[in-house]
Amino acid sequence: MSEWFDFAIEHLPYVLQGIPTTLGLWASAMVIGAALGLVLAWARIYGSRPIYLAATVYVEIFRGTPMLVQMLFIYLGLPEIGIVFDPLTAAIIAIGLNTAAYQAEYFRGAVRSVPVGQMAAARALGMGQFQGFKNIILPQALRRVIPQWSNEAILELKYTSIAYAIGVTEITARAEKIGYETFQFFEVFLLIAAIYVVMTSVVAQILLFVEKRVSVPGL
Amino acid sequence: MLLRVENIHKSYGDAEILKGVSFDMEPGQSKVIMGPSGTGKSTLLRCINHLTEPDQGHVFVDGEELTSKNLNAMRQKVAFVFQDFNLFTHLRTVDNVAIGPRKLRGFDKKAALDLAYQELDRVGLSDRADAYPAELSGGQQQRASIARALAMEPKLILFDEPTSALDPELTGEVVSVMNKLASEGMTMLVVSHEIGFARQAADEIIFMEGGKIIEQGPPSQIFEAPQQDRTRAFLNVIEHGGHE
Ligand SMILES: Nc1ncnc2c1ncn2[C@@H]1O[C@H](COP(=O)(O)OP(=O)(O)OP(=O)(O)O)[C@@H](O)[C@H]1O
Ligand SMILES: [Mg+2]
Repeated sequence: MSEWFDFAIEHLPYVLQGIPTTLGLWASAMVIGAALGLVLAWARIYGSRPIYLAATVYVEIFRGTPMLVQMLFIYLGLPEIGIVFDPLTAAIIAIGLNTAAYQAEYFRGAVRSVPVGQMAAARALGMGQFQGFKNIILPQALRRVIPQWSNEAILELKYTSIAYAIGVTEITARAEKIGYETFQFFEVFLLIAAIYVVMTSVVAQILLFVEKRVSVPGL
Repeated sequence: MLLRVENIHKSYGDAEILKGVSFDMEPGQSKVIMGPSGTGKSTLLRCINHLTEPDQGHVFVDGEELTSKNLNAMRQKVAFVFQDFNLFTHLRTVDNVAIGPRKLRGFDKKAALDLAYQELDRVGLSDRADAYPAELSGGQQQRASIARALAMEPKLILFDEPTSALDPELTGEVVSVMNKLASEGMTMLVVSHEIGFARQAADEIIFMEGGKIIEQGPPSQIFEAPQQDRTRAFLNVIEHGGHE
């Protein structure tokens, strides 16, 4: 055990240098996913037939294919038609577009769970549909979606590791490199697992805090 | 004339719910709509502010016809009080009342809150301003939703069975707020079987059955000398404690 600690301390700085990449990749993707997910949810609830269908096809495609395939397609496939991204940007886009499909479904469920009387009351006051959505439905739906959204956020934090496949030097890629240099794969992946556990626990605690902070009786 | 309802028809699928309903209201009048369950009273009320789109017919408020173009502006003149309150769950009581003036009437935050406290005072709820709807009793929730309607300074308030979701001991506080509004000259169209309110505050009772108005007149006439057998039978039931 103490040997492992020595190993961990020696290699920790190099691995930790990957954390800004991991967290930056994760946070950017989650923001893209939340914004796009909201638009998709809106489209699937209030959109006209063609808009609804377009959003539904999007969700089905992104939920129906592996994220690694999506990432490879964006990084290696798109250049063939002249669209080129650096690895980190490609990873952000891939994870962002993917989580958007899942977040859209969570948002949609949360919006649907708000009683219809809430929108009726907003419309009766004289709010338009979008105003009612923004001022009344969304604040309630977002509170209701926090637990599911937290799960998704933690899942995606772990999924950032697949960006290593297209050459992003986030922490998993760095761990692998150390592994090949030292041939201490056991130690290094134990180290990296510990780092993921710490990160996901911290994120879970923060989101739990937010959930409690914004909670309202009766919601 | 403040409100003119002209020949409203509404069907759901094959079922014709409203079969041509027309009536008028002058400013300051209170009218009470009564009638058996399923007769289309709620549907009529919702058609008046187009929460439900009528298939046929016209609604005029202050001489201006309600259309899909002026809908949101017109609804600010015609407030709606729901049977099950529908207070905004995520907002404190005072913010429920302030949100209309704030978002729809161009009030700044302070002016909207000032008005909200004033309206809460009118319905006797100043002391519960900071509570969330889930922390209020049913009667308090309904009074808060009346305050929310008042904060729009509407020309007319539509009430859809405002007391029927309440425990009997809580209906009194809501009815007395409504009586007070009527006596202050608010124009009110109320679907309700509250005989107390109808007798004290209504200028006219509209009795509906089968999607039509079958009798209307001042409370004295409707209660003491109803012309239609159906009205008499219905009143017999509600005056002896039943809901219908
Ligand atoms: N959205 C809807 N879709 C289909 N049918 C409806 C809809 N809303 C109401 N109805 C039907 O229309 C009829 C009239 O309903 P409405 O709620 O207007 O009656 P009401 O007079 O208000 O009755 P109550 O006293 O029970 O409130 C009922 O048979 C009801 O089932
Ligand atoms: Mg009804």
